Amino acid sequence: MTPQTLTPAVARRNSTAKNRVALVRPKKPLRWITTAAVSAAVVGLHAVAIEGTDFKPELLVDGWKGMAAFIGDAFPPDLSWEKTLKPGLEATLVTLWIGLLGTTLSVPFALLLAALAAENTSPHRLVYQGARAVLSFFRAVPDIVFALIFVTAVGLGPFAGVLALICHNTGVMGKLWAESMEEIDAGPQEALRTAGANRIQQVANATLPMVVPQFVGLLLYRFDVNVRSSLVLGLVGAGGIGLLINQSIKSFQFDSMLTHILIVLVLIIVVDQFSAWIRRRLAA
Amino acid sequence: MPLSVQGLRKSFSGRTVLQGVDFSVAAGELVAFLGANGSGKSTTLRCVMGITEPDAGSISIDGAALDSLQGRELQQMRQRMAMIFQKIHLVPRRTALDNVCAGALARIPTVRSLSPLLFPADVQQEALDCLDRVGLADRAFDRVGRLSGGQQQRVAVARALCQRADVVLADEPVSALDPHAAEQVMALLRELAHSEGLAVAAVLHQPDLALRYADRSIGLLQGSMTFDLPSTAVTAEHLDTLYAPDRNIAA
Ligand SMILES: Nc1ncnc2c1ncn2[C@@H]1O[C@H](COP(=O)(O)OP(=O)(O)O)[C@@H](O)[C@H]1O
Ligand SMILES: [Mg+2]
Repeated sequence: MTPQTLTPAVARRNSTAKNRVALVRPKKPLRWITTAAVSAAVVGLHAVAIEGTDFKPELLVDGWKGMAAFIGDAFPPDLSWEKTLKPGLEATLVTLWIGLLGTTLSVPFALLLAALAAENTSPHRLVYQGARAVLSFFRAVPDIVFALIFVTAVGLGPFAGVLALICHNTGVMGKLWAESMEEIDAGPQEALRTAGANRIQQVANATLPMVVPQFVGLLLYRFDVNVRSSLVLGLVGAGGIGLLINQSIKSFQFDSMLTHILIVLVLIIVVDQFSAWIRRRLAA
Repeated sequence: MPLSVQGLRKSFSGRTVLQGVDFSVAAGELVAFLGANGSGKSTTLRCVMGITEPDAGSISIDGAALDSLQGRELQQMRQRMAMIFQKIHLVPRRTALDNVCAGALARIPTVRSLSPLLFPADVQQEALDCLDRVGLADRAFDRVGRLSGGQQQRVAVARALCQRADVVLADEPVSALDPHAAEQVMALLRELAHSEGLAVAAVLHQPDLALRYADRSIGLLQGSMTFDLPSTAVTAEHLDTLYAPDRNIAA
C-alpha cells in the first residue's frame, strides 16, 4: 500500500483510532539565531543612520525657543486681500494648472511608451527593452532635477514646471500603465488576432478598451501627486504657490507664509476629494 | 468541403496529444467534438485555427491546402475561419455593435480602426445585420458587459459572421452558460449551419447536447478518433468508452 496522506477523511478516521497522529512540531534549532542576527543588523543599521544624519534630539529641545518665535510670528495668518490672499490664490491656481498640464500632456507619451513596454502589446523584444529603458530613465530622474534643467532653458516660471512634470510623469505613468496592460485578460486580444486583426488593431480594439478603468484611476492618482509635486517645483523657481512660500520665508513674512500654507492645504484636500469621487464613480 | 483536416499531430514537450486526427466539415453541417478532459479537443481546434502550430497534418479550406499558401493569401484563407470561445472574449465595456465590427478589422484600414467612431458606415451596417441574424439587433447599443452570458455568446457569434467566416470553430461555446441559454446558442449554431450553409464544428462537453443538435459527432480519446458518426448512430457504449478516463479520475 502507498503511504497515506493526511486528507480530511483520513485525519478524521485517525483521530478516533488508537494510534492518533502525534502532534510534533518540526524543530528549527537555528531560528533564534536568525532572529537575533536580524535584530542586531537592524539595530546596527539604525546606529549608523543616526550618526550619518546628525540626528540629535537635544538640538531640538535646545532650539525650541527659536521655533516658538517662528510659529508665534506666523500667527495670526495674514489675511489681507491685496497683499497676501489674492496673490496666494492666483499662485495656487498656477500650481493647479502646472499639475494639470504636467499630467494631461504626458498622456500621449506615456500611452505610446506603455504600449511598447508591455509584453502583450510590444511589437518586438528589442522595442520592449528600449521602451522599458526610456521609462526607467524618466522615472529615475526626479522632477525637481528636470525643473532645474528646464529653468536654464526656458527661464524661471511655471512653463519649466510643466515641462519637468511631463518628463517625470511620462516615466511613472508609462510604467504603471504598462503593468496594468500586462495584467489584463489576453482573451479578447487573441480573439481579434484569430479574426485577422493586425497588432495595432488588436491593441486599439481589445487591450486598450479593457484597461480604460485602470488607466483613468492611475491618471487621477498621478494628477493628485503632480499637484503636490508642482508645489515643491515652485520652491526651485518653477512658479506657483511654492514660489510665494519660498519668498515669504526669505523675507521673514511668516504670517503670509502661514496663509499660503493654509491655501495649499485646502487645494490638496479638494484635489484629493475630487479624484476619490471620480474613482468611486468609475468603480460603480 | 469547406474544411478538411488530415493527419493532424501535435505533441507538447515530448508528450503526444494528437496522434493523427482526420475529419472534415461540410457546408451546412454542425459537427460536435466529444471526449474526456485532456483528450485533445481544444488542441485540435487551435491547430486548425493556427493559434497552435501542429507538428504534422494538412488543413484545407475549399480544397486549398493552407501549407501551399503564403503571406497575404494564407491570411485571407485563414480569415474564412472564425473561432468562438468558452470565455467569450468580447470587450465588456464596448457596445455589442462595436464588438461585432471588430470581426471585420481585417477589412478596415488601420487608421480607421483606431476608434469605433471611425469604423466605416458600411461595416457598421453589416455588423447590425449580423446582430439581427443572432436576434440581438435591439441590443446593438448596449454595452456587452450588461448582457447575459447567453446574449454575449450570441454577440460573439455575430462577430464571427461579421468576419464573413464560412467555417466556425467553437470551443465549448455553451459550457459557461445556464441550460436555457445553452439551448439557445446551440439552436443558433445549428440554424446558421442549416439555413446559411456555414460549416460549424463545436467542442461540446455535454454529449446529450451533441446528440440533439449536431448532425455528426466525433469522439476523441487520448488524441485519437474513436468514432465519426451521424449523431443518431452514437450509442451509449460509444460514450462509455469515450468518457472512461474521466471516470477513472473520479473513482
Ligand atoms: N500549450 C500547451 N502546453 C503543454 N501542454 C498542453 C498545452 N495545451 C494543451 N496541452 C495538453 O494537451 C492535452 C490536451 O489538451 P486539450 O486539447 O486542451 O484537451 P481538451 O480540450 O480535450 O480537454 C492536455 O493534457 C493538456 O495538458
Ligand atoms: Mg478544452
